[in-house]
Amino acid sequence: MEPDGAPDDSPGTVSAAIELALDALDALATLGEEVEDEWQYVQDLTAAWRDRLATVEAARGGEAIDPAIAAAVVALAGEAARIRDPHRAIDWLSTLPQVALVALGERP
Amino acid sequence: MRFQDAAPDARAVVYAGIQSDPLVARAAELLVDATFEQRLLARAVMNGESTDPETWQAIFPTLFGTAESSARPDGDRSTRILDVSLAVAERGEQARSQFRGAIVESLTELLVRRRHGHADGPTVRRERRVLFDGVRSEIHPYDVTVEIPGAAAAVDCKWGARGISADVLHQLEDARAHAADEDEQLSVVLVVFDAARSCAVRLDRTTAPHEHTRLVTLDSLDDLAATS
Repeated sequence: MEPDGAPDDSPGTVSAAIELALDALDALATLGEEVEDEWQYVQDLTAAWRDRLATVEAARGGEAIDPAIAAAVVALAGEAARIRDPHRAIDWLSTLPQVALVALGERP
Repeated sequence: MRFQDAAPDARAVVYAGIQSDPLVARAAELLVDATFEQRLLARAVMNGESTDPETWQAIFPTLFGTAESSARPDGDRSTRILDVSLAVAERGEQARSQFRGAIVESLTELLVRRRHGHADGPTVRRERRVLFDGVRSEIHPYDVTVEIPGAAAAVDCKWGARGISADVLHQLEDARAHAADEDEQLSVVLVVFDAARSCAVRLDRTTAPHEHTRLVTLDSLDDLAATS
């Protein structure tokens, strides 16, 4: 049980939300690498979306975000963490960053 | 150049059952007028793990009215897209994969029909081969064809960027080149229900020809219906 007044671990800024998304992206990449034939694609895809998310962080990192958006990114990372199938993980390497960016008001 | 129905093999017969499932038509009809964000919702849910609507409503707060910035311009459509996407997700792993593919094909057909102004006309067809004189027939039929002289097109559909393969690109380019050999114009189109960025990553590593293949992605699907 959390003590009263424990800090909320929801992201409060764009930067924190993107960090959460990047952690989830890395976990998906690790799982997706199990598909040997797609190892290079996994590397390339992860790098491409990392770059896109980093661009948004550089531009808006300090911006505060709506609690509903913070909750969305937490829920999104939670959904990604439920994935156990490496093939689905590869598909989510593309899906997760798109959803995170849209939640932050960006086009993928 | 001429178009012909594909002779159905056993796999095609099974897949035809999926294509004619009312769930496919319902999803495609909802997605045809959907926004980019609503289509992204469908993509995420149909390949997600969670099957409770609350999780997805939380992940897409701007669609379901839980964010300050939410305008909920079409909340009812979002709810119906969520429902139909969950119905797909609740199928078994193999079935959901087939449903997803069939939905992208059906959605593509609806959008292409809008461009050509025919609700039920014979000019936009499904599962057709393109035949050329002296050229061996391709193994796989095209998902959607436009059979208008001077504006013919062969369209292949994929759920994700990972579905872009050398075989797919070669078949499209070969068809275009054979048509050109007969002084016919055949546009070749690859529709991918995924981000342009992910498709670009996939294409960057391929040596298969694709310079003449038009790529339509999740964020540009409405271009299929555009008249110019």
